[in-house]
Amino acid sequence: MKYRKITILVVCFISLCCIFLYGVTFYKYSSVLPSGSALEKPNLLHILGTDDLGVDIFAQISRSFFHSMFIGLSCAFITFILGGVLGISAGFVGGKVDILISFFINIALSIPQLPVMIVLGAFLGQRTSNVILIISAFSWGSIAKIMRAKTISICDKPFIKLAKSYGGTNFYIIYNHLLRQLLPLLSVNAIAVIGSAIIQESSLAYLGLSDPLARSWGLMISKATRFNGIFFTEFWKWWLMSPLVSLVICTVLLRLLSKELQQILQN
Amino acid sequence: MKNIKRFFSLMLVMCILITSVACGNTTEPTKQTGTYKVPTLKLEGGTDFGTPNPYLHASRGPGNAKMNLVFASMLEKNAEKDVQWLAKEWSFKDNEYTFTLFENLKFHDGKPLTTEDVAFSIDYYKNYPPISNSLGSGDKFIVDKYEIVDKQTIKIYVNNVNANTLNSLGSFVIIPKHIWEKVTDPYKYKGEDYLVGSGAYKCTQYDGATGSYEFTAFDGWVNGKQAAERILFVPVSDSILAFENGEIDITKMPPDLKDKYMSDENIGYIEKTNDMGYKMLINYEKCPGFLDINLRKAIYYALDRQSVVDKVFRKMGSVGSAGYVPQDTLFYNPDVTKYEYNPQKAKELMKDKKYSVTILTSDSAKDLNIAEIVKNNLAEINIDVKVVSYDSATRDSMVNKGEYEFAIVGNGGWGNNPPNYMRTIFSDVAKNKGGNPHNMGAIGYKNDEITDLCEKQVFETDFEKRKQMFKNIQKLVSDEIPLFVIANESSYSMYRINYFDGWTKTYAYSQAEQNRLSFMEK
Repeated sequence: MKYRKITILVVCFISLCCIFLYGVTFYKYSSVLPSGSALEKPNLLHILGTDDLGVDIFAQISRSFFHSMFIGLSCAFITFILGGVLGISAGFVGGKVDILISFFINIALSIPQLPVMIVLGAFLGQRTSNVILIISAFSWGSIAKIMRAKTISICDKPFIKLAKSYGGTNFYIIYNHLLRQLLPLLSVNAIAVIGSAIIQESSLAYLGLSDPLARSWGLMISKATRFNGIFFTEFWKWWLMSPLVSLVICTVLLRLLSKELQQILQN
Repeated sequence: MKNIKRFFSLMLVMCILITSVACGNTTEPTKQTGTYKVPTLKLEGGTDFGTPNPYLHASRGPGNAKMNLVFASMLEKNAEKDVQWLAKEWSFKDNEYTFTLFENLKFHDGKPLTTEDVAFSIDYYKNYPPISNSLGSGDKFIVDKYEIVDKQTIKIYVNNVNANTLNSLGSFVIIPKHIWEKVTDPYKYKGEDYLVGSGAYKCTQYDGATGSYEFTAFDGWVNGKQAAERILFVPVSDSILAFENGEIDITKMPPDLKDKYMSDENIGYIEKTNDMGYKMLINYEKCPGFLDINLRKAIYYALDRQSVVDKVFRKMGSVGSAGYVPQDTLFYNPDVTKYEYNPQKAKELMKDKKYSVTILTSDSAKDLNIAEIVKNNLAEINIDVKVVSYDSATRDSMVNKGEYEFAIVGNGGWGNNPPNYMRTIFSDVAKNKGGNPHNMGAIGYKNDEITDLCEKQVFETDFEKRKQMFKNIQKLVSDEIPLFVIANESSYSMYRINYFDGWTKTYAYSQAEQNRLSFMEK
């Protein structure tokens, strides 16, 4: 019973992955090439209909999921490493290193993210790698701050002081005492980054700052909303709502998953 | 009880009256305007087309149109012919063109506008060519000399007379001598008087960041009456929603809603047949392999241009003529070489060669859709395409600087007047100058025969002979394919008849929203 909620969430997320995996593997239509008439309603052949170029929407959404997850996981990995290393270093070493790292953490946290991301996106170009770097650059700060605080709190504990007095090296203490306690917290926070990275990627894509022909929920939403008079036609029902609902379901699931994991850790 | 009933009845009547007033069509012209037909005309803004002066506006049609509201030229065009604008009379004999201005012309600061200012504008443009430059520059400057007869009459002598001379002399805008004679760098000048113009409207507000403009009728204008007291270009998120809500008074009719709006008797519309065109350019200096005509033919055969018309334009348009001039227009040559979609033939012409190219395009939905179709088509003949997109102004600037391998460019104005653009695209001595999309020709490609014809047609004053010359140019262009015409888009602009129905085209340009005569009382 203790893990009921998280079990449901994990099952839902895995189911979502399986549905989209089907969309990029066994599903007969391409996410890139037209496979039907323009703007076909959902039907037995195209289960979520087609867009204005006749490309199947379910295939595009499926591919977008993995594109978004790739970006989300890449950002999570980078922030996991960067936030973890800097946060633990600041908390463990202290002194000038702590002051310097804390200074950068505060800068990263105080910069208004979206406007700077837009400017950086415009300068660096529309490659997916740039999108990952930009999102990561704005995601490590909060993780580093949490890691620093947790490290300081652990370092104050008697067993760390005892280990130091017995001649335990920094590496020994970090590897055997700190990481064991910090890694679960770091991982949970990194998972939270996946969800926010997906939203940020969609925002950048919506604003035209990602690869213009990539399959991304943000781009799909952008393309649909830029169709002249879409809200006076019925096209929005499948063309706009499909990526929108997918984006909401995916990010809400990831957020709930991260929240549940955090609660389990706290207990 | 009776009083209570009376009270409630009175309240009910008042409520009905208030509601009926509040629910009335907010776009109805009010009676407060007095002398103007409508108080405001609101158009779709949201894009920065630059400051509306001759040196700072964007080179695209909407930028030029805004500048033309503020700065006047001597002549204007209506749907049939050239008409008065600052000049009330004009005549020409040999290389002498005489213009007589209206009396009591004024600039927006109240100073008189005379032939001194016309002469000054000519001299100033010779030294500092404006963005929209009808007089030419350097050795190609068309004016030889001028003679100021009096404050209203000026004689202008040109170096060579050609079929476009009157149009060129009639369309340069007049700038105030008393302001610009002190300015040594007009391309950067932003003094407080830099928007003092000679046009029917004053620019009273401009915000580039939001793409908002406000133009107010100039009460010193003497040639007719402005139709609106103010013209507003307002940023909107969805043009159709904005039109439905009365936030704008004219907009493009979506093809999918054509039946709905055309059956509405309150909606008027203006047809723009094949007026918008999209082409793909190759920078041959960066991709010299494509100087091989067989590769160019392979590309043309590989492009499914009908799908662009069907899917991107929603069937409103036609496949582009390989000779450039659109179908159903006066100068169109139906005998140009045609390249129907034929991937098999394209593969044969490619002979197993493989290429990798980058296509530059704007970030507009249509450009990206066309780029996606082109990318998929070219992938079939082993040309791997990467698409990069920028905003339209950046894309135009990159194209002009040659910073591209392949580029997709779309612009309006294809429908009416090929003499205005064929030479500036295909003549090796005239193309890629001026930063206008219509000047964007192929870089690194030369063709003496096309250039020779393009230059000769300018001096042909016999209309039929000139038309034939254009047909010959089209045939040559279709055989040589220096660039790829993808498709032409037709569209409709729609407006509310009961609010304002003065929208009009010129004989040379279909965009009623960009025609300053649309904003004048007829």
